Amino acid sequence: MTESAVQLLPLAIVVGMFALFIVSGLRTSSRQASEYGVAGGYTGRIGIGAAIASNWMSAASFLGLAGMFYLTGYYAMAFVVGWTGGYVLLLVLMATQIRRFGKYTAPDFVGFRYESEAARTLAAIISIGIAVIYGVAQFRGIALIVSWLFGIAYTPAVVVGAALVVGFVVVSGALGVARNQKLHYFVLITAFILPLMLMARKLGYFWILPQFGYGAAIRDLQQQFGFAWSEPFATVTPFRWLALCFTLMFGTAGLPHVLSRFYMVPSIRDARWGVVWGLFFIALIYWSAPAYGVLARLFEARGGIVLNSSDPMVADMAVLSAARYSGLPLWCIGLLAAGGMSAAFSTVAGMFLTGSASFSYDIYPRLIRPNASEADKVVAAKGFFLLLAVIVMTLALRPWGMIAEIAALAFALAGNTIFPAFLLGIWWGRANAPGVISGMLAGVVITFAPFLAGILPFLASLPPATSSAFIGAPLVILVMVAVSLLTPPPGDGIKLFLARNVHDTAEE
Amino acid sequence: MEESRTDREISFFRPRGTAMRGEVRVIWLVLAGWFAAIVGIQACVYLLEINYSELLLEEMTFFNLPIHFWLTGQVLPLWFIILCVLFNIWMDRHAARRLDGALRFRVRSGREDE
Repeated sequence: MTESAVQLLPLAIVVGMFALFIVSGLRTSSRQASEYGVAGGYTGRIGIGAAIASNWMSAASFLGLAGMFYLTGYYAMAFVVGWTGGYVLLLVLMATQIRRFGKYTAPDFVGFRYESEAARTLAAIISIGIAVIYGVAQFRGIALIVSWLFGIAYTPAVVVGAALVVGFVVVSGALGVARNQKLHYFVLITAFILPLMLMARKLGYFWILPQFGYGAAIRDLQQQFGFAWSEPFATVTPFRWLALCFTLMFGTAGLPHVLSRFYMVPSIRDARWGVVWGLFFIALIYWSAPAYGVLARLFEARGGIVLNSSDPMVADMAVLSAARYSGLPLWCIGLLAAGGMSAAFSTVAGMFLTGSASFSYDIYPRLIRPNASEADKVVAAKGFFLLLAVIVMTLALRPWGMIAEIAALAFALAGNTIFPAFLLGIWWGRANAPGVISGMLAGVVITFAPFLAGILPFLASLPPATSSAFIGAPLVILVMVAVSLLTPPPGDGIKLFLARNVHDTAEE
Repeated sequence: MEESRTDREISFFRPRGTAMRGEVRVIWLVLAGWFAAIVGIQACVYLLEINYSELLLEEMTFFNLPIHFWLTGQVLPLWFIILCVLFNIWMDRHAARRLDGALRFRVRSGREDE
C-alpha cells in the first residue's frame, strides 16, 4: 500500500481542511463557552443531530466499515445495523433520562446515581480503557493515511500520526479552538459521498444515489469476474451475526462519549429530536460505506489484481483504494484522505481529553493524591494525555485486528459495563452501589475472557470478545440485580430523585 | 414502613403514574418493533439461503441491490429512523396532553378558590 512519493496535493488538502476547522473553531469559540475542550454549538435540532453525528464519525465509520465489507461482504452488515440500531435503545431508554440527571460524564452519573465513590472511580477506569481501545482503532486509521500521504511504512507512520494528534490538540488548546460540529459533519459527509458519486458516474451506475447504484457493481463482479462474497451465513452462523450486531448496539448505548452528548442539550425535547437527526446523518454514512468496499473489489478486478486478498491492511484502505484505482482526480482522493484524517483526529482528541479529565478529577485526587489542588489536577490531566497518546501509539504499532474490529472491542467493553450501569441506574430504583460495582467488574471479565482461551481451552467455545455483550450484558444485569437484592437498598434521597426528577411520577 | 419504601422504587416492569405507564408502554412497542425487524429479517435471509440457492439471493434484487443487502443495509436503518420519529411524536403529544391537563386543573382549582 505504501507509495514512495509524498502526495503533495492530497497533503495540501488535508492541511487546508484542518486549517478550515481551526479558523472556524476560533470564530465559534469567541461566541460560546467550551465544554471539556471539544465545544459544540447547538443551534436547533438539526444542529444537535449534526453534533451527535460529527461526534460519532470516526476512522471506524469512515474507513473501517468499508474495509470490513471489502473483506467479509454481508457479515459487515452487522456493523451497519449495530451502529444504527443502538440509537433506538439510546433514544427510548436513556436520552431524556440522562438529560434529567444533569451530570456531565459517565463517572459523574455513576457516582451520583449509586452514591458511591468506588463505583465512580471504577466507571472512570473503564471509560479510560474504552478510550484507549477506541484510540487504537483511530491511530491505525491515521497511520494508514499518513503512510500513504508521506510514502512511509506503517510503523513510522504510527509515530508521525501520534505526533500530529498531540500537536493538533496542543495547538487547538493553545488557541482556544472550539469545534464547529455542524461544519465538521457537513464537510465530512461531502468528503465521503462526493467521490462515491463520481465513481458511480464513471462506471455508468445510478450515480445520483450511489447507495443503491453499487448493486450493479455486485452483479458485474459476479458476471464478469466470477467473484462473489460467500452466502450470508455460509461462514458465520446467524447467532454469531446477531451476537456482533447486538454487542455493537449495547455498546453504542454505553459509550461514554456518545452518552455525554445528551447531558448538554438545551431541552429534553431537543435531546429526543436531536437523536433522530443524528441517526439520519449517521445512516447516510452507513448507507454509503458498503459501496466503497464493493467498488474497491471491482476496480481491483478490472485492474487485474488478485481478488482473494485477505490482507487487513489492504482492506482498511479500501476507501482510498477504490478512489485511486477508479482514476478520480487527485484532489478527490485528497478530499477522502482529509475526511478520514479529520474524523479520526477529532474522535481521538475528544476521547483523550475526556480520558485525561476522568483521570485528573475521578482517579488522581481520590486514589493517588487526595490533597491535590486545582493546579495539580491540570498538570495531571496534561501528563495523562501524553501518557494515553504513548500507550495508544504503542498498541497501534501491533494492532490486534482491523479498524472496525478494534472499535468493536471498545463497544463490547462499553456494552458489558457502562450500558447495564446506566440502564438499571435509570430504570430500577433498587440498583445499588455493590450491585453496580460487581456488575461492572463482571463485565470487564466477560469482555476479556475470550483472550484467555489459550490458557483456559474451555473459553474457546465463547463468542469472540467483539461479540461478547450479546450474552454478557444480560449476564451483567443479572449480577447487578442479584447483588443489589442481597445488599441494603440505596438511600431514599436517590429513590425520590429518580421518581420525581427522572421519571416524573409526581402526580401520584 | 418497608412497604412504602418498596412502593417508592422505580421499576421498568412496574411503572408508576399515568405518565410513566404510558411511556413504558410505548417503549415496549418500539423495542418490540426494533427486535422483531432485526431478528426477523435475518431469519428470512437465513431461510432463503438454506432453502434456495445462493443464485436466488443474488438474483432477487431491489433497486439493483441483492435483496439481503437491501433489507439489512438499507431498510433496517430506515426502520430505526421511523421508529425514533414515531416514538418522538408520541412523546410530544403525550407531553402536550399532560401540560393541557395540568393547566385545566390549575384553572379549575383557581375558580374553586374564588
